[in-house]
Amino acid sequence: MVEVTVDQLTRIEGHYRIDTQVNEEGVITEAQSMGLMLRGFERFLQHQDPRDAALLTQRICGVCPTSHSLAAANALDQLFGVEDAVPKDALVVRNIHQGLNTIASHTTHVYVLWGTDLANPAYRDLFGNFGDTGKAVWDELLRRYAPISYRLNGVDIPVGISYAAAIREKRRLHEAISLMGAKMPHSVLAHVGGVTYGPTLADIGQLASYYWKVMDFVENFALGVSPETWIENTRFASSPQKAVNFVLERLQELTDASLVSNDFSHAAGWGDVPLLAAFGSELIGEELLGLPASMKLDRTGGYSNPDTIGYLAYGVFYKPENGDGYDPTSPPGSRVIPSGYVDGKLKLHKFDHRKISESIAHSFYVDSESDRFPWEGTTDPEPDPDEIDYSRGTESRYSWIKAPHYDGIPCELGPLSRMLAMEDPLIIGLARLFGDNGYPAVNTYLRMLARAQEILVVASEILKWVTVDLDPSGKFAVPTDLSMAKDSEGMGLWEAPRGALGHWIATGPDSKVTLYQAVVPSTWNLAPRNTAGIPGPVEQALVGNRISAAENALGVDYTNPVGIFHTARSYDPCLACAIHTIDLTGKEKERVRVI
Amino acid sequence: MKMDRRTFLKAVGALGASLFLQTYRSDIVKALEFAETRIVWIHGGECTGCSESLLNGGEPDVLQAFDRLNIRLEYHELLLGQQGIYVDGEMVNTSELNSEILFEEVIEEEGYILVVEGAIANGPKGTGKYMILGGKTYKDIFREAAENASLIVAVGQCATNGGVNSADSEIKDLMDFRGVAFTMEDGEKGMLQELGIEKPVININGCPPHPDWMLLTLGAVVLGKIKVPDDLPDVLDQWLRPKVFFPPDHVIHDNCPRRGFYDKGEFDTVVGGEKCLWKLGCKAPYTHADCAIRRWNGYHSLCPQSGSPCIACVSPGFPDSSRPFFQEIEDVGLPGTNIDTVAKVAIGGSLIAAGAHAFRRLAMKNGHKGKEREDELGKEIGKEAGKENNKDEKGDQ
Repeated sequence: MVEVTVDQLTRIEGHYRIDTQVNEEGVITEAQSMGLMLRGFERFLQHQDPRDAALLTQRICGVCPTSHSLAAANALDQLFGVEDAVPKDALVVRNIHQGLNTIASHTTHVYVLWGTDLANPAYRDLFGNFGDTGKAVWDELLRRYAPISYRLNGVDIPVGISYAAAIREKRRLHEAISLMGAKMPHSVLAHVGGVTYGPTLADIGQLASYYWKVMDFVENFALGVSPETWIENTRFASSPQKAVNFVLERLQELTDASLVSNDFSHAAGWGDVPLLAAFGSELIGEELLGLPASMKLDRTGGYSNPDTIGYLAYGVFYKPENGDGYDPTSPPGSRVIPSGYVDGKLKLHKFDHRKISESIAHSFYVDSESDRFPWEGTTDPEPDPDEIDYSRGTESRYSWIKAPHYDGIPCELGPLSRMLAMEDPLIIGLARLFGDNGYPAVNTYLRMLARAQEILVVASEILKWVTVDLDPSGKFAVPTDLSMAKDSEGMGLWEAPRGALGHWIATGPDSKVTLYQAVVPSTWNLAPRNTAGIPGPVEQALVGNRISAAENALGVDYTNPVGIFHTARSYDPCLACAIHTIDLTGKEKERVRVI
Repeated sequence: MKMDRRTFLKAVGALGASLFLQTYRSDIVKALEFAETRIVWIHGGECTGCSESLLNGGEPDVLQAFDRLNIRLEYHELLLGQQGIYVDGEMVNTSELNSEILFEEVIEEEGYILVVEGAIANGPKGTGKYMILGGKTYKDIFREAAENASLIVAVGQCATNGGVNSADSEIKDLMDFRGVAFTMEDGEKGMLQELGIEKPVININGCPPHPDWMLLTLGAVVLGKIKVPDDLPDVLDQWLRPKVFFPPDHVIHDNCPRRGFYDKGEFDTVVGGEKCLWKLGCKAPYTHADCAIRRWNGYHSLCPQSGSPCIACVSPGFPDSSRPFFQEIEDVGLPGTNIDTVAKVAIGGSLIAAGAHAFRRLAMKNGHKGKEREDELGKEIGKEAGKENNKDEKGDQ
């Protein structure tokens, strides 16, 4: 048995370590997910004006600040008792604000944080075995995904064109966000009762202009077909089978042409999504399309036991057709991307926020209880330096991340869970295709395609919000004052790019904060074992994986564990979010009212 | 290599020529060494918002800026290909793949600019064990990186002053997060002082900092417009911030797009309006930064423009010195202030604002004549100030 540790796993937000035990065949037999820092974030909201929360909690995360500020705004709406009255146009502005952030964050992830691993030298060695075709594929991967300051065998490699383009598009999206939100990261805009700014017609014109520029990138770089065509034939396909067929037919055309020409460039129609869709999967690439080799990402990052995993979405984006106000419990079907709990066998259930709780059994915190509901959470970091030791094994405490669960089950959160809850035909269809052919139905490949698919789903909605739903002469906030927040509680359920995000707040008779809690997506995804000893989602997804590139196709290389990189990064980890110290609360445990 | 004018302009062009020249008016450098500059960028207790902001910067873009300025980003956990890899506890592979080996190599080479993003945990009990990376405390990592650096640039409020990590709470002392040279407003409690390291420091405050503030400062150092350490006492303020971006005699309020409403005494009391945000707690009259002139993300906005009060995220005591965000400062009882004195401060501010306009006009007219322009600018400010003062006195009579 060999111990392979990745510390730090870079190209994520924050500081993260993974310990694995790997056998002689190069298969991971045990994994530990470790958050390496304490930030103690929320304690400082206690005794303060609750309205500050929308601006302060976003500083948990500079990648998805928008999500935190909007989750906080939702919690504040309910705290002030105005959730029924938030004007429709304010809700549309919040949708646009979040939508742009989701696309920017996903783009950065797909290209810069995750995509860079496609330029790992292991793929040079792998594709190098497949003649001119293989060499052409490797050249294309390196040309697109080489990161800044990259060297291979002492040779400087120019920055990848897709990596660079993604940074440019992210910047463009941040400019679009700041048209209404002033700046990005850490925009303003989200506020109790609505938003702080009503866009003018000129703003809307500029927004549309930014939008179309980003769509040019999507068409020419990412997809190779127009986003409208893609969405029409996938999200709005009449069946999952038809959605899958649309993609497969497109890939087959490209493959047939390029296996002759050995041209896998953007110009030949190989957008970044098709290139990954074809060469990322053994089933699709090798079995169905007839490619000589693939990265076999569909064999990795799945869950072996369907009884210890679920997929959870709280739902996001208000429906403008419902008019003013919204239901803070996010009942089924009330949001554009709906709430839902999908069990390990991929069956969809109704979401119930009361089933969320957190365990600290394996985390460096001090508490008499090992499991608590968010409303009752406490966080007292371990004060004894000698107790902070990451090497004591899985029975011990080994992370600053807590372990949330839904009805006792650890859950994966993020685009994949949302696409499953939304029953997106393409993602459902692909999951079935894999499951029916002896592959894990959910895997690292599907996780990445779901993220790409969500970019397109959200983009098509943004266009509607900007051009159809948003009325610049509408109302953008209901008036509030601090006295409305006396002795109250509020819950904000929302979705960050990385997954479901919840903020909980309570106040005392002086309207000051007595409790603040944020339960965030990376806490779920990167959780350590819970009180029952069930490993967290990333820990489960790593076990059984082969450690080296393409299922150890070139043998076992412990020193370049690409298998760990791909799967762990596919969750888009955000440690600043995961470890913010859930609790501004102190000891206040009394419930004020039942939501 | 020697740099001729063409090379200089090409490098400056990467930063947005007009922006750079406006900021560091150039009597074009006759000849200077233009070797590769190495940057080591480390992350502590942070949200990565500063790196995100960096990526929003530069004209045409940050990658090209680095390329033209001959900057090599040697280490950056978000952007580089490497990661830390250990087999049975030993570092493996090479610096091309392993970030831990890379880090050791670049630190050993010395002579780099160290950029620090995020606060440094000192807790619990001075051990720094609240953040352990690659088996080492971040406090030790910072120490190693700082000791061999030629200059430390702290970017963002967490690194400059502790920021949100150091905000008041019941666990603040336990965590004991530190900024590089300050913790909140305390100059004794920076991590450098704690470790007994003396190095030149530039603070780029802000939550996050404007990308121009970071890139133009780095550019100025690389191009020799700021000589380290000789020029630092002149170009930095008491908080070690470049005065050009955080002008001691200028506040955001001076150029606020809602300023006209303030002057007419028209104030919003609930969000979503278009008037002055003073009564909603705006801190712009106290906040020294060029946000309102430079503006953000594509140079088109700033917080008050979007209807949200300035929260003074560049001030050393942020966020505690700005809270509560949405209450009029008068109510909070900031020492020595009431609405009358604030109004006087504000009138003083408008004079400076007039000066800023004059500055712009001159910049358009005269191009880059350095000293001469400054002198004229001084005269013009004096003139406008005189006018305003007279008017004011008449009004009072």
